[in-house]
Amino acid sequence: MTHLQNIGTLQLFIGLGFIFLAQGCSILFRLGLARDLAVGAIRTFAQLFIMGYALTYIFACPVKLVSLLVFSFMVAAATHIVGSRIKTKAVRFRLPVFFSMFAPYLLVAAMVTGVIIQAKPWYDPMYLIPIGGMVVGNSMSSLAVALERLMADLRSKREMVEMRLCLGATDWEASRDLASDAIKAGMIPSINAMMGVGVVFLPGMMTGQILAGADPLASIRYQIVVMLMLAASAALSTSAAVLLVRKRCFGRAQQPLV
Amino acid sequence: MLDQPILSVRALSYAPSEGETLLRDVNLDIEAGGFYVVKGPSGAGKSTLLRLLCRLILPSSGAVLLRGRPVNRIPAPELRSKVLYLHQSPLMVEGGVEDNILLPFTFKANAALERPGRERLLELMRELRLDGVDLDRPADKLSVGQKQRVCLLRALVLSPDILLLDEPTSALDQDNAAVVLDRIAWLHREKGQTILLVTHGTQVIPVDNLRTLSVRNGTARIE
Repeated sequence: MTHLQNIGTLQLFIGLGFIFLAQGCSILFRLGLARDLAVGAIRTFAQLFIMGYALTYIFACPVKLVSLLVFSFMVAAATHIVGSRIKTKAVRFRLPVFFSMFAPYLLVAAMVTGVIIQAKPWYDPMYLIPIGGMVVGNSMSSLAVALERLMADLRSKREMVEMRLCLGATDWEASRDLASDAIKAGMIPSINAMMGVGVVFLPGMMTGQILAGADPLASIRYQIVVMLMLAASAALSTSAAVLLVRKRCFGRAQQPLV
Repeated sequence: MLDQPILSVRALSYAPSEGETLLRDVNLDIEAGGFYVVKGPSGAGKSTLLRLLCRLILPSSGAVLLRGRPVNRIPAPELRSKVLYLHQSPLMVEGGVEDNILLPFTFKANAALERPGRERLLELMRELRLDGVDLDRPADKLSVGQKQRVCLLRALVLSPDILLLDEPTSALDQDNAAVVLDRIAWLHREKGQTILLVTHGTQVIPVDNLRTLSVRNGTARIE
């Protein structure tokens, strides 16, 4: 088994050249994204270095339950990111979004660490944090897609929803098909990922393990579990979030608020 | 003794946003079997008033009473089947004409109501001058005028107490508009249907005892 080839500081800064290339595209096509790319690159450096140092301390921490605190922080940050993508002031959705991410993600991550990897205890930071991070990071996009779709449909199909309400439908009966479409939209990326994995792309976790010198046949087993886990967490969290947020899009007389 | 109004509006105000009041202190009594033409300048709040009556939007203050009962104490689906608002554009769901007409019966609030059989549906179709239209025909293949009458029929199967019609002829050509208005007038004359109709005012409505509900300068009153 070979050892992970370390990336030196100089090589790391050479990596910044990729950002300059992306900024070049932005300038060439007048996309106005050069500043965002710079901010994104700085945040990538800062956040990952902070996380790297934090993980070193967390893994060394004798209180293993600290992993749940870190996990809650990751979910809170994901809630904030999802919230910034959904542009509505009429509906308060952050709390339901937090809980619809927290419970399913923790359940799925705990099943993977406890039952499949058989880590002892299941909340060992060494396992729960990376696995939980993958669940939160990947499924967050599914959830954002689903909620964006729900809000967009509630706005564009408002007359259709109102028409059903006017004929005696409850808010659920009037918007059920919109909720289904939103959940479906949220689940499609993880289904597509399962279709393309190993053919179109090699996922980050597997690539990381191979670069670190692991046996490809061992790392694919991890990756298979991760792919299945992401499909489940996307399905559970998008369903929960869409159902909870949809309810909040209607007022006390079941009138549309969006 | 005078009959109790079917619908009463008491000190109703509506402010869509802070500092902007669209309707202020509106008091109205709608009599059962009446035909009210809702008139007023564009943006005065005609549609808003109708939407307030069926609680598609909620007032800032004041009350609406259906046969003396505050509407906020009636479950919203039940209220909206009784005080039935029909949109300006005729909206059809996927499926045939019959699927569209029977759509209200797929909702829990209407489950106890009697579903009209095929014979009854054909009779209703004739009454609304839709007798040439096959019940199985895809609803999206109908003309706008036919769709508007299917919407009217879809409302009628619920036997609403009051029909709130928001410019039902605005998307129609003159001939189709005349047919739709004729059928609305017929519903009032023959079936005693209480109707509030928002219109831009140029069309002739063949009803004798028309009342005008004027909405202007932030208030509404019956003339």
